[in-house]
This record gives sequence, C-alpha cells and structure tokens, in this order.
Amino acid sequence: MKRRTFLRTVGAGGAAGIAGCLGGGGDGGSTDGPTASGTDETAAGTTTGTAEPSTPELVVSTYGAFVDAPSTSPGPWLKETFESEFDATIEFATPDSEINYYIERALQGAEIDADVYVGLNVDMLIRIDERLDDGLFVPVDDVSGQGDVKEGLNFDPEGRIVPYDTSYVSLVYNEAFDGGGFAAPETFDGLLESEYEGDLLAQNPTGSSTGKSFLLHTIAEKGADGYLDYWEELQANDVRVLADWSTSYTAYENEEAPMVVSYSTDQVYASQSGEDLAKHQIRFLNDQGYAYPEGMSVFEGTDEPELARQFLEFVLRPDVQGEIAQRNVAFPATTTAELPEEFAEYAKAPPEAVTFTYDELRDNVSEWTQAWERQFASK
Amino acid sequence: MTALVLLVVFYYPVATVFVDAVFVDGRPTVEPIVSVLSSRFYLVDIFGFTAYQALLSTVASVLLGLPGAWILSRFEFRGRRTLRSLTILPFVMPSIMVAIGFVATFGRNGTLNGVLTAIGLPPVELLFTLEAIVIAHAFYNAPLVARVTTAAWESVDASAIETARSLGASPTRAFRDVVLPQLLPAVAVGATLTFVFTFASFPIVLALGGFQLATVEVFIYSRIQNLAYAEAAALAVVETAISLGLTYWYLRYEGRTRGSGQGARPQPRYSLWPGSWTAKAAGARITIAAYGLVVLAVFVGPIASMVLTSLTGPGGGLTLEHYLFLLERQQTGASYQVRPLPAIANSLRFGVGTLLVAVPMGVVMAVLTTREFRGRAAIDALAMAPFAVSGIVVGLGLLRGLVFGVDVFGTRVQVTGAIAVVAAHAVGAYPFVTRNVAPLLGNLDPRLVESARSLGASRVRALVDIELPLVAAGVVAGAAFAFAISIGEFDSTVVLAEGSTSYTMPVAVERYLGRRLGPATAMGCVLLAVTSLSFVIIERFGGRYGERGGF
Repeated sequence: MKRRTFLRTVGAGGAAGIAGCLGGGGDGGSTDGPTASGTDETAAGTTTGTAEPSTPELVVSTYGAFVDAPSTSPGPWLKETFESEFDATIEFATPDSEINYYIERALQGAEIDADVYVGLNVDMLIRIDERLDDGLFVPVDDVSGQGDVKEGLNFDPEGRIVPYDTSYVSLVYNEAFDGGGFAAPETFDGLLESEYEGDLLAQNPTGSSTGKSFLLHTIAEKGADGYLDYWEELQANDVRVLADWSTSYTAYENEEAPMVVSYSTDQVYASQSGEDLAKHQIRFLNDQGYAYPEGMSVFEGTDEPELARQFLEFVLRPDVQGEIAQRNVAFPATTTAELPEEFAEYAKAPPEAVTFTYDELRDNVSEWTQAWERQFASK
Repeated sequence: MTALVLLVVFYYPVATVFVDAVFVDGRPTVEPIVSVLSSRFYLVDIFGFTAYQALLSTVASVLLGLPGAWILSRFEFRGRRTLRSLTILPFVMPSIMVAIGFVATFGRNGTLNGVLTAIGLPPVELLFTLEAIVIAHAFYNAPLVARVTTAAWESVDASAIETARSLGASPTRAFRDVVLPQLLPAVAVGATLTFVFTFASFPIVLALGGFQLATVEVFIYSRIQNLAYAEAAALAVVETAISLGLTYWYLRYEGRTRGSGQGARPQPRYSLWPGSWTAKAAGARITIAAYGLVVLAVFVGPIASMVLTSLTGPGGGLTLEHYLFLLERQQTGASYQVRPLPAIANSLRFGVGTLLVAVPMGVVMAVLTTREFRGRAAIDALAMAPFAVSGIVVGLGLLRGLVFGVDVFGTRVQVTGAIAVVAAHAVGAYPFVTRNVAPLLGNLDPRLVESARSLGASRVRALVDIELPLVAAGVVAGAAFAFAISIGEFDSTVVLAEGSTSYTMPVAVERYLGRRLGPATAMGCVLLAVTSLSFVIIERFGGRYGERGGF
C-alpha cells in the first residue's frame, strides 16, 4: 500500500524531475559540470552550529550541479525530505574546486567545516590518499542499506566511501546526421575506419569525467602498452578532444560531428524535452560501458557522526535511491531502488560494465594520463 | 598603500604557489624548473607553440583593431561614442559564451557558412583549428588594441599637424612624422597586452581548438587538478618569466620613444558620408564598408548567436522561458543557490569598487614610472605582473593565502568576501589604467608641470589640474578597462566568494550552464546588457570630465 502511494507520487512529480534534471549536463556529477561557489550560510552555519543546540546541523559538501542545476537537481528535494523526517537542518557547501578544496585545507592545516561529502569518485579518492597521510574520511560501517549496493560499484578498498549512484559512459550518436542513415561503429576498432574521420567528439581527461572514463575504457580494451598506438590512429582519424562535456555536447548539438562521448542516460532528458530521439542514439562500443560510480562519505572531524550516518542511510533507502537516480539522471547504486517502469526505457544500461579497480588506478592513472597528454599535445 | 594591496592580494598568494617550484619537501631545489627547461616536449611543443599562437593572435588583433581605431578617432557619425563605449564588450564575455557564439557562427552549420553558401561560395571548416583560436583571441583583444590606439589618436594635437602642413609636409608626411610617433606606443602597448593575455589563454584553446593544440595553461591546469604542485609551479614560473620579460622589453621601448606632445586640441573629424566623392574619399569609404563586414562576422555574429540561443526553446521556436527561469530562480531560489539579482548587484558593486581603487593606483604608478630613474623598467614590469601570472595559479594562491588564512600570533587571519574580491579585481585591473595613462603622460611636455610647480602648485595639484585633464582620454579608457576587468573576472572571484553571497554574473553564467544552453545564455545576455549600459554611463561621465579639462 505504502509502495503504491509512493509510485503515484512519483508519477506526478517524477516527470518534472526527469525533465529538469540534467543540470550539470547530465554528467552525473563530474567535474564537467559547471560549479561555482555561492552557498549563503556555509561558513556562518558551521561555526554557529554548535551554539544552537535545538536543531543539529549537517553540512553537506557537494558539486554545484547537485544542488543548483538550472532545472532541478537532487539537492533541494533531499534537503527538504531529510529535514521533514529528521530533527536536523542540512546546509550545502559547494566549493568550486570540489574535493581538492578540502585536500588543500588539510594540507594547509586549516579546519574542515563540513560533515559529509557527496560526489566522490575514484580519482578523487586516489588524490586524497596520495597527498594526505591521514586521509579525509573515516571508514563507514553499520550503515544499513550498504549491503544493497550493487556488486562492482564499491571503489574504496578501505570502505570509507559508499556509492549512491552510477553512470555509464558510452557514445551518443546522431542517426539523422547529414541527411540521415548514420550509424556509429560497434567496436573501438571501427572508430578508426576512414568513414568515421572527424566524426567523434571527446573530452579532456583532466577535468572531465566522461573524457577520463573514455580514456580508461580504451586502456581497458587496448592494454597499457597498446592504448597510445590506438590513440595515435584515433588522432589521425581526426578525433576532437575538447575542453569538457559541456563544450563537446554543444558542438554535438550544433551538428559539428555525429558522435560524442557522453552518458548512456542521454535519452532520458531528450525524450522528456521532446527532442528527436534519432539524434540521441546510444552505442556501447564492444558492448561495454565504462562505469562511473559516485560515492559519499563522512569527514573524519565531523561533530555530528550519528546524524551523518543517518544521512547516508537515508540516501540508500529504496525510495530515496529512486528519487536521486531520476533527479540526477543516473542509475541507482542499490539493487533495491524503487523506480518507475519507464525509467528503464530511456536509461540504457550496457550489456557489460567495465571499470578499473582502485589499486590498478592508484598505481597507474597519472602515468597513463600524462603519457596520453604528451602524445596528444605533441605538435 | 598600493604596495600593501599588491602584497596581500597578489605577491604573497602567488608566492605560496611558486614556492613549490623551488622547495620540495622543505628543501630548496631547482629540479622542477630544470626538468621543465630540459624537456623538449615542454620547450618546443608547449612553450614554443604557445608563443606561436600568441604571436598570430597578436598580429590578428592588431590588424583587426587598427581600422577600428582609425574610424573611431577620425570620423564623426551618429552613435560614435556609444559604439566606442561598446567596443569593450568582448572583454567581459565569459569564455563559455564566446565558445557557444563561435560554434553557432563559424561552425559547419553556422551563420557564416549559411551566408557563404547563399552567395554561391564554398563553405569553410573553421572550428577546432588554430584559426578558430586566433579569431577568438582577436575577438577578445582587437577591441583592446582599438581602444588604446583611439585614446592616443584622440590626444594628437591638431596644431602640430597644421604646423607640419604649413611647413610644406604632405598629408602622408605629416601623418608619418607627427601622428605615427604618437600612435606607435599605443599600438605597442595593445600588442604587448594581447600577447601576454593570449600566452596564458586557457578555456578558449580547448573549447575551439582541442587538446592537440594545448598551450602551457592547459598543462598548468592539469597539474594543479592532480595536485602535482611542483610541476605546475615550475611551468607557471617559466610562463610568468616569459611574459614579464616581454613586458620589460616593451617598457624599455616605451621609455625610449617618448614623443613631445604639447597638449590636446583634437583634429577635426571627417563625416562618414563625405561632402564630395573624390577617389580618395571613396576609397576610404570602401575600406570602412569592408571592415564593417568583418566586424559583423567576428563581433556581431557570435554575440547575436548568443542572444538568439537565449531566446530559443527546445523545439527551435522563439521563447522567453529562459528569462522566466531567471525570474523564477530569483523568486524561489534557495539561499544555497545562485540568484540573478545578487549576482548583478555584486558585479556592479565590485565593478565600481574596482574602478575607484584601480584608477588612483594605476595613475600613481603611471606617474611614478614616467619619471627617469635606474631600474625604472624593471619596477614597472614587476608592477605589471598581475596579468602575467596564470589565473589558475592566482586562484590557488588566493585560496591558500587568503581564504584559509594565515596564522599570525596564534590567530588565523582570513580575508574573504567583498573587500577581498574588490582588492583582487583592482590588482588585476590597475595595470590597464597605468598602461593607458603612462604613454600619454610620457608625451606631455615636462615644462608644463615645472611651470605649475614654480607658480606654487603642489605635485598632486599639478597632477590633478594640469596633467590629468590632458590625458583624460587615457584615464577614462583605463577606468572603463578597470570596470570591465572586474565584471569579467572569474578565477579569483569564484575562490574568494566561497561560502558567502559574493558571487557575480560570470559565476552565475557558469552555474546555469546545463544540457540546454538557454539559462546560461540568458544570464550571459543580462551580463552584456548590464555592462553595456554601465560602459555608456562611465564614458559619458568620463567624457564630460575630459571636455571640461581640455582647452
């Protein structure tokens, strides 16, 4: 009974949720998304929080698009719902340099004034572990719902980070390009064919999660000793690596090229805003998509550890998981998420998900990326 | 005072980053810098290419800017002043807006190709090439060249030309001997600033060119993003050294080429529609018309595309929904979201604040550096450092130096919020005031000040009553630039506005960027409208000051 009520509510409100969602450009929380500062009361709220014992306050730090996308984003809904159920207020902080802001604070010995971070990925975790001896986060255990997280999404071997959603990076292509009849190749090797010359738009791996995921996907396919040769051919076939997701997607929509590296949830937005779906076809190269999970964790120095744990549990709850997935246009992290049936119609999951483990990345990712940068930027 | 502001919001923060290039694990080392300088990849592929594209961009900006200066300073037509005020607009355009406008104008299916196809010409492939980057850099910097040159041209004394003519010089000869020597320093300053700017260009390069055309700044960003500070700092140190070296070289040239202007009675302007159609008059008008077409493509096209995008709905029809979004966000936005009105109000407050701080700072520096003393050019070059240092590095430095605070006797001293933003903007802006004023000041006859002083005027009084009115065109141009720099600044603002309500219009533009470009472009158009109006007001006001002072 309860469940049915919920589904009906989603039916009414869900449409708006999906329609709006892609604030940061449906990039599900990457550094692609434009972020900026601008939370009103972060600083004030944190410092005075302890002086007001009546309502405890939880400072949740995240990326800008999570709370402030031009349409809707999960943040406001999350805050409102959480506050209505718990005797607490949520304050959002959205530092422009995201997790680097807190790494910097720790390095410079400045106090950290947030309790929870939402929007962590494996790259960020590696940066934290490389730069800070003590880390920023504590292991999270006894969070109910943690056991429901899908196999393979947990990216922190030390259990500090709890995944809350995931995206899959794939190609999006335009069937109607240049009069119609365009089809993206089915394999990575197919991208090297001359008929696809100048047809692919990708992104700078530094500062863009789609660009980074695509690069890692080529390494997974071609191997650490083969990906540079592959990219040499890709570059010879005139692939364009632009600044970030937003620039490349703008160019794609202006029909500068018929293929762009993007997310497999692309049609969710396109269908809701009434766009021609022929221009938003999904291609999983080699039948694979690169998984890009996002996680959350509790800052070591939090003065609200219990409230923070409750927040994490709240986010993993089946109804909240479904809501976040729709509002962030990503897949839920748990197997128990409640989603309307039409969600699966437009959000495409790959036959096979590919990803590197934390350990593989920690030892290699800087080297791989820098070698790629040097090769690609050689004039 | 100027020195203190510079120290707190510039030299100290930047030093906190640069120190990483020479100290690793607390020990002094030259390893990071040596490794950059001994890398063929960095030297040739990155620094060499960065300088090459900056050079091309400078040439393009000068070629595109000079005809503009000629028209603005030598012709009279309706709306000339407004047009002159608006030339500064490209300067405040957020780079994402320029990228959107350029794709729409110069892309495969862009306006330009539409026009070319319509008149039977083959389409051009401009995007994601070096050419696209160079044109975008000219979009930003040609107005700069035009502005400083116009200011110098308008300060050319007509009686000097008349004297030359009465002594038998042909118009060409009079131009070459009288006008040109006074214009060259201005052109040189425009070119130098353009080179320094485009040398540190970042968002435009990756948005319109692609990673294969990566510049130094792309690598600095990448290293800082990955917290590889030693390498980032080493790259930034080398980049700054090159930019400052060039500035120093220019300043020595500026010192040598002081002309001897006598005050300002501007030359009469021609009418755009000539009284009689001589071959020469017709030739000039054809040139103007051709230039108008280029301006239409390079400047009006991208801006118009942006306006159009802000008015286009998902189905392609015209709509006001994106502006309604701004209204709605204003009314219902939560406190942790960015709202349009505070962004507009902050931008204007910071702009005015910057103008009020940067103009005196810049003028004082100009007076100081037009005096002759040993090492003048070196000091002058150091004072110009704020625009030679990578914006990314300044941002990180401000985070470390000001936002996190410094331990002073056990208390953490932090500087954030409005005052810090204004100070940071003023530091970025005052070199423009100096560079607009110094060449004109250098052209003044020193006997003017000497006479005033011998009649009992103090140095300040002589400056305010005698010199400033004579270089009013430069002061007003500098003030407009100061305002523009403040409005357009992003890197420092976003860092200093952290955790406060000090966000500005460009920050709001970034924040509203989504899969649909409507909301961000609508905010971008608001930015353009607000700044256009401000420029017209600044220059009307400044123009009156100039006229009152002139004689």
